[in-house]
Amino acid sequence: MNITGMLYGAKLLKLVEFPTPKVLGPEACEHSIKELIAKCGEVFVKPVFRGGVGKKGKAGLVGRAKDLKTALKEKERLYFAEHRHGNTVAKAEGVTFEGAVPADHEVYVSIADSTRFRAPTLTITHRGGMDIEELPKDQIAEIPFDPFTGLKSFIITNALGDLKAPKEIISPLAQNLPKLWDLFHHYGMTALELNPIRMTPTDRGGLMPVACDFKCGFDRDDPRMKRLNLPNDLFALDYSDFEQEINQLRTYQGQSDVSVINPNGTILAPTFGGGANSLVTEFLGDDAIISSDFGGNPPYEKMRQVMRICLKHWLKQSNVLFIIGGKANNTDIFVTFRAMADALREYFSQHGPTPVYVVIGRGGPNLSRGLLTFKDACESLGLPYRIFGFDSAMTDVVYYAQAADRWMKSGGRETLARKLGIAG
Amino acid sequence: MSNQDNGKFKYFVGINSLAELATCKDRVCVLNILGNESRSVSPVSHSYSGGNIVFGTSPGRKGEVLETPSGPIPVYNNVREGLDAGHKFNVGVVHLPPAAVRDGVYELIRVNRDIEKIIILTEKVSVHDAREIRALAQQRSVDMFGPNCLGVADAWNHVRLGGALGGDRPEESLRKGSVAIYSNSGNFTTTIASYLAAGGWGTTTSISSGKDVYICFAPPEFAHAFDNDARSKAAVMYIEPGGYYEQNLAFKKPVIACVVGRWKAKLTRAVGHAGAMGGSGDSAEAKEKWFLEALKVDGIYTPETPIVSQAGAVVTNISHIPAALTAVMKLNGVEPDFPPVGDLTLKPWFGSNQGMPVSPELDIPLVEPLQPYHDQIAELSKQIGAVFPRESMKDRSGSSIMDAKTQVTRVSGVSILDTARYPLESNYCLALVREHNDANDNALFNTAIASCIVYNGGPARHAAQAVRDAGNAPNTVLATACALVGPAHVAGTAKAVDVLLDLFGHSGLQSGEQDFDFSHIKADADQLAALTGREPDPKAQAILAGLKARGAKSVFADYLRSLPGEPTADAALAAITTTIAWSALMKKKISRNTVRNFPWYAKLFAAIVAASADGGKQEDGSFCGMAGKDLIDKWSSTEIAYLALLGEKPSPEKLFPFQVLLGLIISNGPGTISAQGAKGAVSADGPETPERVQINKAMIGFLTHTGFAHGGNGFEGIQFLIRQFGGTNLKDAGATGHGLDLVAMATKFATAFGAEKKARKGVGEGTQNIPGINHPVFKNQLVNKDPREVYLSQLFKERGEANVFHDFYSAVVQALYDTGVTANVFCVNIDAVIAALLLKLLWPRYRSGAFSESALENAAFTAFLFGRMVGCAGEIDDHINRGRNMDTRTAASQCTFVS
Repeated sequence: MNITGMLYGAKLLKLVEFPTPKVLGPEACEHSIKELIAKCGEVFVKPVFRGGVGKKGKAGLVGRAKDLKTALKEKERLYFAEHRHGNTVAKAEGVTFEGAVPADHEVYVSIADSTRFRAPTLTITHRGGMDIEELPKDQIAEIPFDPFTGLKSFIITNALGDLKAPKEIISPLAQNLPKLWDLFHHYGMTALELNPIRMTPTDRGGLMPVACDFKCGFDRDDPRMKRLNLPNDLFALDYSDFEQEINQLRTYQGQSDVSVINPNGTILAPTFGGGANSLVTEFLGDDAIISSDFGGNPPYEKMRQVMRICLKHWLKQSNVLFIIGGKANNTDIFVTFRAMADALREYFSQHGPTPVYVVIGRGGPNLSRGLLTFKDACESLGLPYRIFGFDSAMTDVVYYAQAADRWMKSGGRETLARKLGIAG
Repeated sequence: MSNQDNGKFKYFVGINSLAELATCKDRVCVLNILGNESRSVSPVSHSYSGGNIVFGTSPGRKGEVLETPSGPIPVYNNVREGLDAGHKFNVGVVHLPPAAVRDGVYELIRVNRDIEKIIILTEKVSVHDAREIRALAQQRSVDMFGPNCLGVADAWNHVRLGGALGGDRPEESLRKGSVAIYSNSGNFTTTIASYLAAGGWGTTTSISSGKDVYICFAPPEFAHAFDNDARSKAAVMYIEPGGYYEQNLAFKKPVIACVVGRWKAKLTRAVGHAGAMGGSGDSAEAKEKWFLEALKVDGIYTPETPIVSQAGAVVTNISHIPAALTAVMKLNGVEPDFPPVGDLTLKPWFGSNQGMPVSPELDIPLVEPLQPYHDQIAELSKQIGAVFPRESMKDRSGSSIMDAKTQVTRVSGVSILDTARYPLESNYCLALVREHNDANDNALFNTAIASCIVYNGGPARHAAQAVRDAGNAPNTVLATACALVGPAHVAGTAKAVDVLLDLFGHSGLQSGEQDFDFSHIKADADQLAALTGREPDPKAQAILAGLKARGAKSVFADYLRSLPGEPTADAALAAITTTIAWSALMKKKISRNTVRNFPWYAKLFAAIVAASADGGKQEDGSFCGMAGKDLIDKWSSTEIAYLALLGEKPSPEKLFPFQVLLGLIISNGPGTISAQGAKGAVSADGPETPERVQINKAMIGFLTHTGFAHGGNGFEGIQFLIRQFGGTNLKDAGATGHGLDLVAMATKFATAFGAEKKARKGVGEGTQNIPGINHPVFKNQLVNKDPREVYLSQLFKERGEANVFHDFYSAVVQALYDTGVTANVFCVNIDAVIAALLLKLLWPRYRSGAFSESALENAAFTAFLFGRMVGCAGEIDDHINRGRNMDTRTAASQCTFVS
């Protein structure tokens, strides 16, 4: 759950009175843009992406304009721009117009929880405006600090002193950067990055830091972010319909984490446990439709609902229903398997039979009862199946599921469909 | 002296050796000990560890205890009270919900100065709270584990702290040996221990670290404590991407590192473990590299390329851990701890190809499950039918549910719009066996119901009539009839069902209607006595003859006929109901109890229908003027219900709307007063001893929880319609050429209603609602429709059936809008459809003077009871199967006094 760019960044920074340039959103009229150019001399035109999209500048997706005509031309170019970063492709939904901020110095600042220090950590360099990874380590300061006292001015002055930063930027940064702690710590953030902060001259002859780009990540498990009243759909693009339906069931009792791996996959694998999730998804590769963790001892109703949603979205295209987990510690196998078996029966009674091979690997409390319940369901629905206990290597069970998928792809699906009395 | 003091770490680490992690001296306090997870996990930990939990907390529940096999654990409101009571502890275990975790940790640290270790099991603790918790623990020199971990366990010390490592049988996985386990996954901690046993390796200390962003007991601390633990000759580490905890580790003893999660680089958010999101520097690849360097190997170990060194190996598949460990230890001259326990080859416990030719790689033979699972499965396989977990069923139901959005209730998963298409007998069986009847089932059940009505017996008739004559409403009359169908009345059928289940339960019989060779089924003398007698039983003979006449198939009826002696009526009834229930029972959709009680439900059905007819119309051998044999051989239960209510044999045209009417009202969910009455009666008898629940009393509970406001209120719609149509010449409400100008009638009514509304408003009085119009859910559109009414209109339209009363309702809502009385077009609701259906049936009698308004009211009420009996039978059975004793009561704290 990330936000990038100044459209929302400026609003968030205003909460803690951190200076930002004037920012106009996609709805800005020509008159306002013209006024902004007149006031700032120049505007930056940047595409608006939902979620965490970085390195826009490098991709040539930042326009500059000193007149309205150029600004509008850049708006036209960038309004629906596509940006590929790593594996993800993002599509812009409008542009912002950000007043240029004259400055001689650019600063990089981020606050995040460092696993090296196991504490919130300030990362700062006075050589900002570029990729932090490209800078030599001695030009970057990483300073962990106490979350009870927060980010204090002395931490900043010490860090900048150590970096031998220009004297004139130290005081304004020491005055303003501590404000960021309030934004970071009190609104459920896991990371906050401003790059660049441009040190612009003030009327009184000093410098003032102005945040010219913004990135932050939120903790989905922290209700504090609700204090920001951000629009619900701001993060919606991150999730498919399926994921959103499952997410509505997200409570602390029982996991319900899912991610769609391959919407054209053929193995539907409800997986139990974070470890099993890592292992199984890795071995299934693109055969898997979803990656999931439904462990954590979900109660019957939740498990049935989760399974109902999984089946509704994916069973039709699945060759293999693969229920897999290690030897559970506290997840009740009877409760969870009864819920899944009931959901499967319900699917068949509502939508009619569908050809699917069932493969199960599991261990844990109430195992015998749980496995027998699913065995009965497979028998009554006429589905071929193999059920393994925890004494079979989990990865071999994954290979077995893949073999079942291959068999289904090479004519087995049609054979089974005929057996079930339906067309393939 | 902590390791911070000796300069080894820049932060506090109190643990010097793995042997100190979970010791016999540790004493534990569990926060939220009565929570769902803790309640099941803590007793196992406590007993496994020789009773190490000194107390637990649960605000507001001081004085309660958590029972364990090693004795009860006291519960206090908070930590201070526990300490004040004289308990001492050095380990805190946190089972609180995420939002309460931080405060719980503060409480442990600030209230108890002896605290040394805190284990946080809770998932989804916010990063914000985790960073503060970590800081506080560091300030106060406390070793912390988690969050989102399963704690630690020590196979040497036989101690488990925190969560459920090893599940409910820690001894099974945590075998004493020489390998320490450190795992980012709680589940894999136990799974790896099981895998190690298959390689002949046991464990020392097992640690589930958690895999949130903050890991409080991380690999550097583990490596340090591992080095100092003389018992641990090697370690296995299961590691996922995300975080720099494993960078620059150094070990003095062999380690097998299992790094999993390369694919996670494709993800943009965490799935499963919140902290398992790697950036460019802490991806799975990066971690593999760190371990390859630390363990001095130049590649990943696989069985095909077994790359190992004396320092260890790196694997990416947990199944390879035991073999890699054995290879590494061989280089170090160390043999496994014990002979391998089982192996990890593919061993399907259950499977079926369903008669299809599958590929050879799939067609692997089944293997007997290992003990104790083998014996458990054998025992469970003997069990017939489903076993439902017991839970509080107050305001909950496994039988019915109403969709708040559509207001459509489902019974046994079937919408009441669909049950309206089925006859009463099929819906009754649906509520009990979770499947609609096929034609054979209907033939069977109808024979049973007809026989019970024909052989109703004098006392029930006279009792019901006496109650009716005393001026009671129909529900009280029917309740009287139910009272006579007591437990003694059904003891014989229950016994007969039990015998049939014992004889056929494991015979391979899948359906009660199939051709089946029962020559190998031999009843002993006691069983025979439960099914047969010496003298012929006329009722039994009538039933078996009825089945023949209808061509109904039943394995059990055939079996009865094959027995020496004369089948009893109880056995014949048991044979019928068991045939209907058999397939659902074998599929474990229903419980054995349901099947045992099924004849009881059938008898209650018959008693209710029989008692609804005047006692004077019932004689031995006939009912309402119809010959008993005819009823048993031919009539459906719905037809008999019609006969009882309206005194004539229905034509198909008359039967269908009656069936629809009954099907529509079978249930409105478990929250209705009628369902609550039934459920309360079950709850009071104690469903945890199901054989003691008086099902007839539960049926009485349903009946006494109906009345003029619930059930009798259907009459309001009828009254409304009578007022509108009383002055007309309408003879047949189903005729299309009735000659009435419905629009004019509706407009006249609407105008008058509007004027009255205005007048009432003028004097500050509220407006009276029109029965059957408007609905709290289906409103606020320009034109509103109750989807149930729309569905039924369509159904009748398809069948070409007209109903002038229904049409009038449609005209009224339009007229109310057209005359400006309502701001939009109100919906015609389901009650209107029911009133219109019922009045259509009763209209000829009302017109002819045979039925007074009072008789109309009784008929309307009784029809409601016929329908609702179905849903309530389902609720009663469901509550018996799933409920707890007295679970419908409301806590005194939630009750209020009104002065």
